Amino acid sequence: MTLLFAALLTGLGLGAMYGLIALGFQITHSVCSRVNFAQGSMVMLGAVLGYVLTQRAGLPVILAYPLALLGCAAMGVIVEFCLIRPFAIRGNDGWLMATVAGGILLDNAVLFTFGNEPRSLPSPLVETSWQILGTGVYPQQVLIPLVAIAVAFALQMLFRRTRQGRALLAVVQNPEAARLMGINTTVMISGSFALSSMLAGAAGLLIAPLFSVHSDMGTLFGIKAFAVAILGGMTSAWGVMIAGFLYGLVEALVTTFLGSSYTYIVVFGLLIAVLAIKPSGLFGAAKLRKV
Amino acid sequence: MPIQPTFTRRALMAGAAALSLLAAAPASAAEPIKLGLVAALSGQSAKSGEAITRGIELALDKINGAGGVLGRPLELVSRDDESNPGKGLVAARELVQREEVAALIGGLDTPVSMAIVPYMNEAKVPFVGPWAAGTPITMNGAEENYVFRVSAVDEYVDEAITEYLISKYGAKKPGMILINNPWGESNEAGLTKALSKRGMEHAGIEKFESNDVDVVPQLTRLKEAGADSLFLVANVAPSAQVVKSLDRMGWDVPIASHWGPAGGRFTELAGASGEKVHFIQTFLFTDAAHPLFAALQEKYPEIETLADVTPATGIANAYDATLLLAAAIEKAGSTEGPAIREAMYQISGVEGVIKTYDMPFTPDNQDALGPEDYVFSQFVEGEIVPLMD
Amino acid sequence: MRLTDTRLLDLAILALTAAALAGLGLVGGYTQFVFGLVAIWTILCTGLNVLFGLTGLVSLGQVGFFAIGAYAHAILMQAGLSFWLALPLGTLLAAAVGCLLAVPAVRMAGPFLAMVTIAFAFIVEHLAIEWRGLTGGQNGLMGFDAPSLLGMTFGERELVMLAIVLAGLLLFGYRRLTASGWGMAMAALRDQEIAASSLGFNPFLTKLSAFAIAAGAAGLAGGLFASLMQFIAPSNFTLSQSILFLFAVILGGAGTVLGPVVGGAIVVFLPEALSGMAEYRLLVFGALLIAVMLIAPRGVVGTIAAYLPRRERGARACDQETVLHYISPETPHPLTVTDLGITFGGVKAVAGASFTAAPGEVTSVIGPNGAGKTTLLNMISGFYTPGSGRIETAGTEIAGWPMHATSRLGVARTFQATRLFGSLGAEANVISAFPKGRFGAPFATLANGDRRALALGLLELVGFTGNPATPAADLPHVDRRLVEIARALALRPHVLLLDEPAAGLMHADKMTLAALLRRIADLGIAVVLVEHDMDMVMGISDRILAMDAGVPIAFDTPESIRANPQVIAAYLGEGTLKAPPRTLAFEPGAMDTLITRDLRAGYGAADVLQGLNIRVRRGELVALLGANGAGKSTFLKVLSGLLAPSSGQVLMNDAYVQGLAPHRMVEHGLALVPEGRQVFPELTVAQNIELGAYRRKARPAPEELESILRRFPRLRDRLDTPAGLLSGGEQQMMAIARGLMASPKLLLLDEPSLGLAPAMTEELYRILAELRDDGITILLVDQMATLALAVADRGYVLEQGRVVAEGSAEELRRDTALIEAYLGQGEARDDGPTEDWQAEAAQ
Repeated sequence: MTLLFAALLTGLGLGAMYGLIALGFQITHSVCSRVNFAQGSMVMLGAVLGYVLTQRAGLPVILAYPLALLGCAAMGVIVEFCLIRPFAIRGNDGWLMATVAGGILLDNAVLFTFGNEPRSLPSPLVETSWQILGTGVYPQQVLIPLVAIAVAFALQMLFRRTRQGRALLAVVQNPEAARLMGINTTVMISGSFALSSMLAGAAGLLIAPLFSVHSDMGTLFGIKAFAVAILGGMTSAWGVMIAGFLYGLVEALVTTFLGSSYTYIVVFGLLIAVLAIKPSGLFGAAKLRKV
Repeated sequence: MPIQPTFTRRALMAGAAALSLLAAAPASAAEPIKLGLVAALSGQSAKSGEAITRGIELALDKINGAGGVLGRPLELVSRDDESNPGKGLVAARELVQREEVAALIGGLDTPVSMAIVPYMNEAKVPFVGPWAAGTPITMNGAEENYVFRVSAVDEYVDEAITEYLISKYGAKKPGMILINNPWGESNEAGLTKALSKRGMEHAGIEKFESNDVDVVPQLTRLKEAGADSLFLVANVAPSAQVVKSLDRMGWDVPIASHWGPAGGRFTELAGASGEKVHFIQTFLFTDAAHPLFAALQEKYPEIETLADVTPATGIANAYDATLLLAAAIEKAGSTEGPAIREAMYQISGVEGVIKTYDMPFTPDNQDALGPEDYVFSQFVEGEIVPLMD
Repeated sequence: MRLTDTRLLDLAILALTAAALAGLGLVGGYTQFVFGLVAIWTILCTGLNVLFGLTGLVSLGQVGFFAIGAYAHAILMQAGLSFWLALPLGTLLAAAVGCLLAVPAVRMAGPFLAMVTIAFAFIVEHLAIEWRGLTGGQNGLMGFDAPSLLGMTFGERELVMLAIVLAGLLLFGYRRLTASGWGMAMAALRDQEIAASSLGFNPFLTKLSAFAIAAGAAGLAGGLFASLMQFIAPSNFTLSQSILFLFAVILGGAGTVLGPVVGGAIVVFLPEALSGMAEYRLLVFGALLIAVMLIAPRGVVGTIAAYLPRRERGARACDQETVLHYISPETPHPLTVTDLGITFGGVKAVAGASFTAAPGEVTSVIGPNGAGKTTLLNMISGFYTPGSGRIETAGTEIAGWPMHATSRLGVARTFQATRLFGSLGAEANVISAFPKGRFGAPFATLANGDRRALALGLLELVGFTGNPATPAADLPHVDRRLVEIARALALRPHVLLLDEPAAGLMHADKMTLAALLRRIADLGIAVVLVEHDMDMVMGISDRILAMDAGVPIAFDTPESIRANPQVIAAYLGEGTLKAPPRTLAFEPGAMDTLITRDLRAGYGAADVLQGLNIRVRRGELVALLGANGAGKSTFLKVLSGLLAPSSGQVLMNDAYVQGLAPHRMVEHGLALVPEGRQVFPELTVAQNIELGAYRRKARPAPEELESILRRFPRLRDRLDTPAGLLSGGEQQMMAIARGLMASPKLLLLDEPSLGLAPAMTEELYRILAELRDDGITILLVDQMATLALAVADRGYVLEQGRVVAEGSAEELRRDTALIEAYLGQGEARDDGPTEDWQAEAAQ
């Protein structure tokens, strides 16, 4: 019972974080069918900037974290401009590899500037744990799913209620018509990458107090989040969030009841099995083929 | 950044080396003797790689300042193995075959060392380990063993920490929480052996990944199996994840650890409970007046306090290893591998920072350090201090 | 012997292999080892090149196969098996696993496929870690016996030599593969999966073989790697390694023969060259990779090859007699369709369609847009699975067969929007159809002399006069249609389905095409023709099936069809529709809203617009008329900024605006209501309309929406409905309302009546007349020429990108000969599927 409860807690917290990062994949994929494979590095960047701004520059969290997110957004814009747009214009798939290389570059640049030892980002929410059902939970762990769900809602509001949000939806649903409405799709695509990187950065800030801050902390999160985005089908935000929770729970349950040795084998095996049955993901809509 | 100034120089050197290779110029008397280093210089273990580099550089400064070896200066050629055994092996080959190093220092991770060992024995070039503790690295069964070590040995460490848990905490059923890599595997064997020697049982062997955020599931299983104490084997960041998870569960349990926590700012990462982890060290700075610490501060100005030198063990091991190698080359009067190996068995009276080495190696024991050199320690206010009792 | 590109390539491969072998004697032990690594990379990347470069499938999981090959080889050798047995067994095992992975993977594309392969790589890596008894866990396996052959023991040097020879053989194999039926199938699938199936290529088998080849090559590389390194561990087989493999292929040049060598050499040698930089290596490496990809996106070899002259052996067309004999079916068969139907999301797209297409006859299918004509062809050819009914030909029931099966049986088709293999030349496109989807021997050249002669003969038959080596993507529209027909004929079909082959063709070309189709039918082929050009249809058809809204209304001879009142009402009844003219004559104002001068534009090789001079005065409604392909849509694209003109000027209200981005055009007061409505399907009607005002500085007042809704009362009740759920007519109204919301100075309307029911068309034109009377400046493009001229003040007639007639609407209306000659009646749009909207509405 305690085991199961502990696994559920772990799974929900991590799953929410995967979902948050995966939302970033989903947004850019919807807008321009491309993703930033350096998304994991954006997670790291958020945490590193958060650490540098609070611990080294001594800024208060209320100021530092928004600044860190802005930094991530700026990096997202740079990635889109330098590593995605040049290839998108030529219509080739080079962006895929270019963003991977960009991730390597960013990780190493941080290694040489931030330093090569893991650091800890303090948070008052990990100082004491609540004891429930024989196991403990940090407030931070509860915060992550709450933030993730709040972000998903906020995004929904942003898309449905604001002018720019609707313009983004318009680009997703019909890019050419959106251009005819006078929507600057270039700016919208750029903006979607900024948003995507901000989400990853937010995930980094959220997970850092439970983990540690170092230059390659994001790589694995990025890959898992990509798996989540694919599992969710890349089309709906809620689909991706649910897939995130599912992934987190399965991962935690396998680790708890089979041992961590089998986590990757079982989780990725299940992923292939699901995609074999539903090639466009759990919640993805297959498009009608036309000629 | 400490390595920045040497960067262009090194690139130039590499170019020059390549040129000289093309010209096949004969070695001149003043030509430096090359020592190779293969270690993780990037990625998670980069900090430890940096410590080893610093230890060697300090030793080289001392040796070269005193006129070098055989009248020739010693020079370090470094290669990054990215903690990847395949890359480590290729790098070792490159250093031996292309750079023609007289000896190789290195191997941060046990698997990298394990991959390099057979090659070095075949190439007949001495290989001195300043870090990786895997038992079979030196006890590799080769007839002519070219592998030496100035570091802890898992089997001895496991014996020591088992004894420590029993004598200090009266442990009856310890649990193991081990990193899922060969280092963890090596200690799983060592700990199991140490326990069975005493006729004791364990509460379970749990593994975790170095990127796991949450180790509560594994720890909960140990707790439910009735563990009264824990063995911990992992590098600094994963070790911190274990302590954080214990904290979260509210489980206060004695922990004896391998030296992983010493590799970084453990208490910053793990929180105050990090101080409860007791771990072994081969060396630690007890006060800032230590001559080696002064030398470090002088060479690397970014080092301000003792907390900035983590892990001191890596620096000390590498420093001593370099001194021992230099002594052996001097003794051998040659840079030929077999001659240096023979000389390794004959050196004596080498004053290292850990201890003075008198006949540290024999063909039966290629490890310079033994259990008698281990110090149990803990973190107090960010610094590693020896345990008083 | 003449040096052709393929011969040169073979020589280059031979020279490289020999040079590498000779070079081994000159280098030291370590460089020799690095040579071995490059050879191993070449082997693996050549396999990956088959998968990625040739077939277009991204795999980030090659390291998994590499690992399987390495471990199988190592484990078998440690079990005492000889090197010479372990190596092929490891290769086979990897290939077999490749086939297994292909089963789920072939159904996916893009990121989904990438993820499955990533997952696979992770699983293999972790199995290698956890299956300790077999793999040695993290510590890996080391020490494998040196192979020996004929009493000679292989040292490292000999092993490297073996790897180099194998790499050379694989490169040669790749070169031969690309020229074979296998390579053709893969390239066809990469360029155009749907067209590839329509030529009989089985997509599943093709992808499966590409996966198997790539996996096998990776396995072989793995085996050699294990023996060369004398050590393998899971950390050799991480995902980042897999990424590097793909990098190497892209860097070298995906789809080029020598790309893998160059890419492999770069990726292996570069870190060596950078090794002195120790910890900075990855930083520099990452930056260099990005730089190369930005500077040479086609890869090193691809970029260099683009500058080299092409040398190919010429071929001569065989005589027409041989061609006609070749395509005459041995035994002609009719095609019988009985009660065929299909439903998309509750909407009946086709119901109860029955007809027989007799061999030697042309059977045409006509009907207004959205009648279900293309859907009918899609079911016959196997692209859609019919919901009900039977399709029989050659004594076989084929309903529900996949497309590659129907085409192998002898049912060939063309597509409304041509689907040629863009990277292949016209000749190669035709040759691709000869094998009927069979791969043939793996290394047998597909384009042998006989096939080339026949292909050229077929191109001659259909009247193709261009260069047969020009990549199809660069061919003009007309030529693309002809090549597609030639390609379909190369299948030797007994049934030929043609989907609007005459769309976009000039009158004279149409006549030639009609004669060709008649000739094809006379050979004993059952020709089924979907076409809008009534002259052509009536001229060559033996029987006609008329459809309306998915339901057949008549199947009869042309004469009877022409007299059938139901057909006239549904399809030919435009003349009965009315649109209100101006009550008072238009008085031109002082200023012109739009002037274009010598405007030229196009999509590549040739300009579609050949210097257009068009003028729209303030408050005027100008109609732009012309047949399909005349350049009307291209003109509107240039005006709206979606396409940059190649030369010429566009003036709007005294500002030059040519070449501006669409959002800047909107700022200049231009609003385009695009063809096919282009709604945002998941936004509500109100949100759609509001987006029309996106570029306006101030948020529009509610009264404005109110006044627009007064014009379109139908929309009022649907304001909160997602636009995708509206009917076609309602969507058109909404699209116009959306355009008006921008309060444009010039409103462009592209084919607003397309696919609308007659009553709806009349209502639409009433609204257009109202807008005109309220002083809105409008440029109208519509297929309904007489209707458009009824509401217009002036008009232009385009043909082949030029203005061939202009004048007041009155004058043009009277000139019926002009309308007949250039416009025909009941024309459809340029290209693109006419039934899109129906499928969309059904979703």
